[in-house]
Order: sequence, then structure tokens, then C-alpha cells
Amino acid sequence: MSNSRSAVLFWQVAILVVVLVVWQWGFEWSKALLPKAYVPKILDPYFVAKPSLIWQSFLRLGCFADSAGFAACINGNDNNLWLATLVTLKNTWWGFLFGSASGIAAGLVLGRSDFLARVFGPYVVALNSIPRIALVPLVILIFGLGDLSKIATAWLVVFFVVFFNTFEGTRAVDRDQIAAARLLGASEFTVLRTVVIPSALAWVFASLLPAVSFALIGVIVGEFIGAERGIGKLIIEAEAHANASEMMVAIFVMMFVGILLAIAVRSLQSYLLRWQPQFEPSA
Amino acid sequence: MIAAPGPGFALARDEDEGAVARTRIAVRGLAKRFNASGREFVAVDDVSFEVKQGEFVALLGPSGCGKSTILNMVAGLLPRSGGRILIDEDTVETGKVNPRVGYVFQRDTLFPWRTVEQNIGYGLEIAGLPRSERAGRVASAVEKAGLSGFAQSFPRMLSGGMRQRVALMRTLILEPEILLMDEPFGALDTHTKLEMHKTLLEIWERERQTVLFVTHDLGEALTLASRIILLSARPGRLREDFDVAIPRPRDPVAVRETAEFGRLYSHIWHSLGEEFRRTRAD
Ligand SMILES: Nc1ncnc2c1ncn2[C@@H]1O[C@H](COP(=O)(O)OP(=O)(O)OP(=O)(O)O)[C@@H](O)[C@H]1O
Ligand SMILES: [Mg+2]
Repeated sequence: MSNSRSAVLFWQVAILVVVLVVWQWGFEWSKALLPKAYVPKILDPYFVAKPSLIWQSFLRLGCFADSAGFAACINGNDNNLWLATLVTLKNTWWGFLFGSASGIAAGLVLGRSDFLARVFGPYVVALNSIPRIALVPLVILIFGLGDLSKIATAWLVVFFVVFFNTFEGTRAVDRDQIAAARLLGASEFTVLRTVVIPSALAWVFASLLPAVSFALIGVIVGEFIGAERGIGKLIIEAEAHANASEMMVAIFVMMFVGILLAIAVRSLQSYLLRWQPQFEPSA
Repeated sequence: MIAAPGPGFALARDEDEGAVARTRIAVRGLAKRFNASGREFVAVDDVSFEVKQGEFVALLGPSGCGKSTILNMVAGLLPRSGGRILIDEDTVETGKVNPRVGYVFQRDTLFPWRTVEQNIGYGLEIAGLPRSERAGRVASAVEKAGLSGFAQSFPRMLSGGMRQRVALMRTLILEPEILLMDEPFGALDTHTKLEMHKTLLEIWERERQTVLFVTHDLGEALTLASRIILLSARPGRLREDFDVAIPRPRDPVAVRETAEFGRLYSHIWHSLGEEFRRTRAD
């Protein structure tokens, strides 16, 4: 067992090293060795930067290499890397929270009421077929360049994903379990709280993981189109200076933010769904 | 309708007290029609019977004859198409739960996200009983179910028999006076089934709930019941009514050796066989 685990780790590290080495020196080496026509453009540091440059940009943007010192550097730039990350993270979080809360609420209500489901069904389908990203300029027009428009964009992308899953999950609740709860004395509300919600939770969580990524995408796109602060804004600025390494820094920061959010959702999921075999705490 | 009360007979106590046992469930001219793809389909037709205080009545009939349908109408889970059902002189209203009635399902309906303990304590919990007052009752119910080591386990870690014991205790902990059971042991193997019969007989002989027990298993009906109501094949009609005068306490294995068991078995088997043949001829 430990044998195969170390083998997996070995290959993971090996792939990382190869990618980094090719990224760092691949372009120079191929220029020296290959005829000009065969040099892969994709490795050109002008477009994709290279690890050493990215690391330097990270130190500079992150205020680790500033002669004035960390604090002065942070205060001198109102869209420094840390503040930008914080703003993007915060807007992602609120958009995700509002989007999933309202998606869950709407999914439960329509899932429990055949009448409402039939009334709203066509509207939901119609609204859902609008590509959400197409609405971003409109959202910014309405809510301005500040945080609110980013939260609204994230809300838009999160809501429908969570809504549809909650709706399906609510529909899939075992009718006999509901009858059993009733016969044991549960009121309509108690049935919702103690049977429908726990039972639909697996479906809800299946949508929350993609929803986190969607929220992040929504916020970044919002920041591309119009923002004062945030990682998306940082990327757009770097693009304006054709600075690939700064873009890469922003992309890596987003990657870590995404991983952290996914870990948070996943650990909540494995706690709340610990009664399901795949989330059983391993011995 | 009731045989002469012998020693240990179900109604002995009531008769000793000189009172005629009170009718707990009265079903009168019950009918149920379903609309199956436009066509009307009669599932239950003009069924009448009564269950008295402390009786253990088995509702026996071939598969698909409408046993579950009848039981669900008695429980108020399903609207009826005709007739009346009275529980303690009150007409059963669909959708309204009677707290004196407990129901055990044919299918496994445990809550998989709750532990054994939480499943058994469900009814007390939603009734608002504080945790401290629940704990003792739940613990003794867990013990009665023979699941002491499994209080914190989730249902998926249990065998079918253990799960059905949890389901039984989840209902019994609320101390229902009337117990409706829909083939609760139908999915179990013979050995586990006999153990469950033993458990149920012990509980019933101690507490003497009024029981209406649905089954298609003649042996099971004879082992448990004081009376057997035999239904005809589809549409479900009342065919015959038998008293099972096997003395109690009964042992689910030893009971099969008694003369009464053998006599009733071959007698009812004959009638049941005719109904099964009618089912197949359909
Ligand atoms: N909701 C429904 N709609 C249409 N037909 C139904 C419905 N529920 C039951 N039936 C039909 O009514 C008849 C009686 O069904 P029921 O479930 O009561 O049988 P049962 O005696 O409990 O059988 P089993 O022993 O197999 O559980 C069956 O023929 C079934 O197909
Ligand atoms: Mg049935």
C-alpha cells in the first residue's frame, strides 16, 4: 500500500519538475537546438512568462521585495496583491453564500409544491437558457463598479446550479420516509426540516462544489468588465502592460483561492454527509 | 366470532373483568378504486371487519390483493373511494395522523442520516421531549431491540433484521395502543424472520397492543395472530375469518408442532391456494 502511495507521489513530483524545467528553459533550449520554424511559440516567455520571472513578480506584487518595506508598500497601492485577493475572495464568498442560500430555498419551495413548480417551471427554463455571462455588463450598469455588481454576478451563476440540484433532490425524497415521519408525529415543517432537507443534502452538495468555482468565475469576469479592485482587475492591468508574469501570479493566486474554497466545502460536505458510505471517516 | 377464551388467550383479561372487549378498528364497506391510465381499476371491494382491544389480527391474502391499500386507508395515508373506517369511534381522516396508532412499513423507511439511537428517538425528539428525558427511554429501547453495541451506528452498517428491529422500536417507543404492520418481515430470511417473530411475540404478550398485521405468509399469520382475515384475490374482498386458538405464550418454532397449527394450515392453505390460482388466471 505504502509502496503504491510513494509511487504516486514520485510521479506527481516528477511531472511537476518536468513541467517547471520545460517552462523555465524549454524555449532557450529549443531555440539553440532546433531550426527556427520548429521552435514552439507556446513556450515563449513573452506569452507565458517563466517560473523564475513569475516568482520575482510575486515577490514584487506581494510587497516582499520593496525597499520601502512591506507595510509602506501595502499602503501605497490600493490594489496590491493581498488586497486584490481579499476583495475577490470576499465577493466570491458572499456571492456563493447568497446564491446557494436562495437556490436552496427556491429549490425546496418549488420541489415541495407541485402547483408552484408548474407555474414557475417555464420561467425557470427560459431564464436558465440565458448565458449568464451575457448579463454581466447589465449587472455592472445597474450595480456600478463596486463590490455589489461582483456579488450579483456570482449570485447569478450560482443560483441556478444550486436551485436545479435542490429541486431534483427534493423531488427524489423517499415518499415512504415522509409518510413514516408523519406517522411518528411530524408536522409539515418538521418533515421539511428532519426528512426533506437531510435527504436532499447530498444533491445540494453535489452542486455546491461546482458552484464555488462558478462564483469565482463570476467575480473575475465581473472584474474584467469593470472594477476598481480585485484579482480580475490586476489581470486586466497586466494585460495592458503585456506583462505575462504578473498575469501568471494572479492566475496562481486564483488557483490557490479556488483550492481553499473547494477544501472548505468538501470538509463541510464530508461532515454533514458522514452517514453516506463514500464519506465514511476512514479508520 | 371469538373462540372460547382458554388459558392465556388474548382476550382472557378483558373477559375476566366481565367487560366485552371494545372495538378499536371498525372497517365498513371499504372500497378503493384507482385510475390506471384512464381506466378505473377496483383494488378493494366492500371489505368489512372489526378489530377488538388487544386482538392480534392478521390480514392474509395473495400478493396484489390490496392488503397494503387497506392498511394505508386505515392509517389515513390514502383516501378511500367508499365505505367508512372508525378508530375508537372516530372516522379516520386522510392526512390526519392519530397519535394512538403506530405504523411499521413493508419497505425499509429508516432515516439513513440518523444513527440507530436517533432513529429510535425520532418521535420523542420531534414531540419536543428534552434530551435528558429522552435518553433513558431511547437507551432501553435500543437494548430491547438487542442493539446495545450499535446505538451510534448508521442504518447502512446494520443487517436487514437489525434495521427492521430499529424500525419496530422507532414506532413502539411512542407506545401506540394500535399497531398497523405491513409485512414488516417480508424481506428477511427465514431464520431472521423467526427471531423477529420471537421478539414481536414477547413484546405483544407483555403489552397487548391491538395489532393489524398484513402478510401473505400463512405460517407467519398462524404464528403471531389470534385471528386471521383471509382476503380474496384482486379485487380484495373478505373471504373468510379464522380464530387461531393456539395457546400463548407461543414460541415461533414450537408453535408449528401444535395440532391446531397443522389443522388451520392445511385448511387455510386450501382457500389461499384457490385465491393464488385466481391471481394467476387473471
Ligand atoms: N397508486 C396506485 N395506483 C394504481 N394502482 C395501484 C396503486 N397502488 C396499488 N395499486 C394496485 O392495487 C392493487 C393492490 O395493491 P397493494 O399494494 O395493496 O397489494 P398488496 O396486497 O399489498 O400486495 P403485496 O403483498 O405484494 O404487497 C395492486 O394490483 C396494485 O397494482
Ligand atoms: Mg403490500
